[in-house]
Amino acid sequence: MTIHTEPLKSVSDIERTTLMTFLPGRIATVFGGRRWRSLAPLAVLIVLCVLIAIANPNFIELRNLVRLANSAAVPLTLAMGLTFIILMGSIDLSVEGTLSVAAMVVVLLAANDGNGNDYGWWAVLAAVVAGTAMGFVSGLVQTMLRIPSFMATLGMWFIGLGLSVYMLGGSAIRLNDASIRDLALTRFLGLPLAVWVATGAFLLAAIIQYHTKLGRHILAIGGDEDVAKLSGVNVVRVRITAFALAGFFFGISGVLAAAQLGQSHAVIGDGRLFAAVTAVVVGGTALTGGEGGVVNTLIGVLIVTVLANGMILLGISPYIQQTVQGLMIIAAVALSLDRVRLRIVK
Amino acid sequence: MNEAFSLRRIFEGKWTQGAIPLVLLVVLLLIIEIAAPGFLTGETVALLFANTAVLFILATGVTFAILLGGIDLSIQAVASLASVILAQLLPSLGLAAFPVAILSGLAFGTLSGIVHVKLRVPSFVATLATGGVVTGIALWVSDGRAITIEEGGRENTAWINATVAGLPVVVLISAVIGIASFLALRYTRFGRQAIAVGAGEPAAWAAGINVDRTKIIAFAASGMLAAIAGVVLAARLSSGSPVLANQLLLPAIAAVIVGGTAITGGLGGVARTAVGALIISIVRIGMTFVGVNIFLENMVFGAVLIAAVAITIDRSKIAVIK
Repeated sequence: MTIHTEPLKSVSDIERTTLMTFLPGRIATVFGGRRWRSLAPLAVLIVLCVLIAIANPNFIELRNLVRLANSAAVPLTLAMGLTFIILMGSIDLSVEGTLSVAAMVVVLLAANDGNGNDYGWWAVLAAVVAGTAMGFVSGLVQTMLRIPSFMATLGMWFIGLGLSVYMLGGSAIRLNDASIRDLALTRFLGLPLAVWVATGAFLLAAIIQYHTKLGRHILAIGGDEDVAKLSGVNVVRVRITAFALAGFFFGISGVLAAAQLGQSHAVIGDGRLFAAVTAVVVGGTALTGGEGGVVNTLIGVLIVTVLANGMILLGISPYIQQTVQGLMIIAAVALSLDRVRLRIVK
Repeated sequence: MNEAFSLRRIFEGKWTQGAIPLVLLVVLLLIIEIAAPGFLTGETVALLFANTAVLFILATGVTFAILLGGIDLSIQAVASLASVILAQLLPSLGLAAFPVAILSGLAFGTLSGIVHVKLRVPSFVATLATGGVVTGIALWVSDGRAITIEEGGRENTAWINATVAGLPVVVLISAVIGIASFLALRYTRFGRQAIAVGAGEPAAWAAGINVDRTKIIAFAASGMLAAIAGVVLAARLSSGSPVLANQLLLPAIAAVIVGGTAITGGLGGVARTAVGALIISIVRIGMTFVGVNIFLENMVFGAVLIAAVAITIDRSKIAVIK
């Protein structure tokens, strides 16, 4: 009797095989299965770039590429957090609320034109902690009260929004701390520091997903929660940790957004949930959970940002952007959902 | 131990779940009457109803979606688009602008339904996406600005702000919509099938109900009622804007859930939503009255929503809570 042993999959293999499922199965099998499907978002991104560059050569100018990277910084950091939640098969609608709380905290604690505080980088730390705390509460509410995440986080969205608007007194407050503003203004190797922070967030998220127990457990829960539970995964703890982790990323992006705008106001989060969900879904992470990951999301963020940038370059009304993003969500979800698992869709 | 158990059973019983919101409403009214005697006169009550009308119409629409076990996150976008269309078209089309605005809601509601059912996209994502599509269109049509309904157009919206026999017309509109929706849910084939689908989709499907059609009709109704709410709101404020109804999504969903309709579907109805909308409205008035900062309202409603969901949800229906 021979014991058939397969070599253990290395982490990067898992990354590759679960990268994405994008096109309907039939087309995918014709073109060689998963490998092809996993490349679809990347192909979309490349085709998009080529088309826009042909239509308007300014697109590939260095100045525009820097602008592109800069406008991708906040969505990328946000989408990193959201990816973990969607990988579990849940959703976090509190993106805008948590981001605005973090932006409010950093602006009110650092030097500003609303009060006398000047705590410098402690304000940044406090903002990230506040974001993490919001996520932690979302996780507690979802697991302890046992209500679906979209309802728990819908509530948290407005709790966060109400809190930040209340603390700001309904007006815009300017951020005067020069060292925090430097996140957006100072450049390193030609790119604003915010881009490097976002890159750091991406690397951190990648390490968490592919090299930690938490990352594996999140994927396991998304794949099949019952099986994960039976395998000894502490589902409640992983869920709460994942929501707190998402809050951590939302907190960082709140700081970046405040630094980029130089202020915080009631609508600082507007439209960000939408962009983040679009990025995650378009990148190929399945809403059913268990498939995809932060690399997919990186590509998704780039698709969304390049498209937005391209529409401006081509002179298309920026107002129509949300419409295009909405259609992209529908298309991507419809193409990627694993329908065999979904006889009932609610 | 035993007592706690029976208390819990009472709490989770279907009958009491319908009664709790009603009791809550009466208690709230009593508190206000004690705090401010003379509140419950005809005039203030008519005002209360008038201020609740838009919220109630929106919430009635979402009730259809929630009864099926789904959710509609596009109502505020659809209502805003309807307000923009109305404000934009009133000068040229006159009264004909009303049906156009309302039909836009019907169209986008149907679109949400089709995306949800035919492409098998979960309703919260499908409606989040169509909501984005609709907001984009509203921004584009209005060029990102609020459009004031000028003097000429106001002639055609005056009837909405009028009163008939002491009752504001908006109250009559919402009453007609409420009664029609109530009857539709209770006495028509669509209504019964909708409740059956919400109560147990596989069973409804096995019993030969056209689940897909029922869902599409429900989302179409939700969209149309959202558009009506947007039109009424635009007429009351004499303006249309792509963000006009943005603040109403949460109160509308909260009204449905607080009224006692479970997000798991199959349990609840329009009458409960009416109670829920009045509760939300009174809480809002009460907060202003007590001096709670207006910016904190969202926080309160967010917390109320979470609490109400936790109480009304039927956990036996969801194997895994995601």
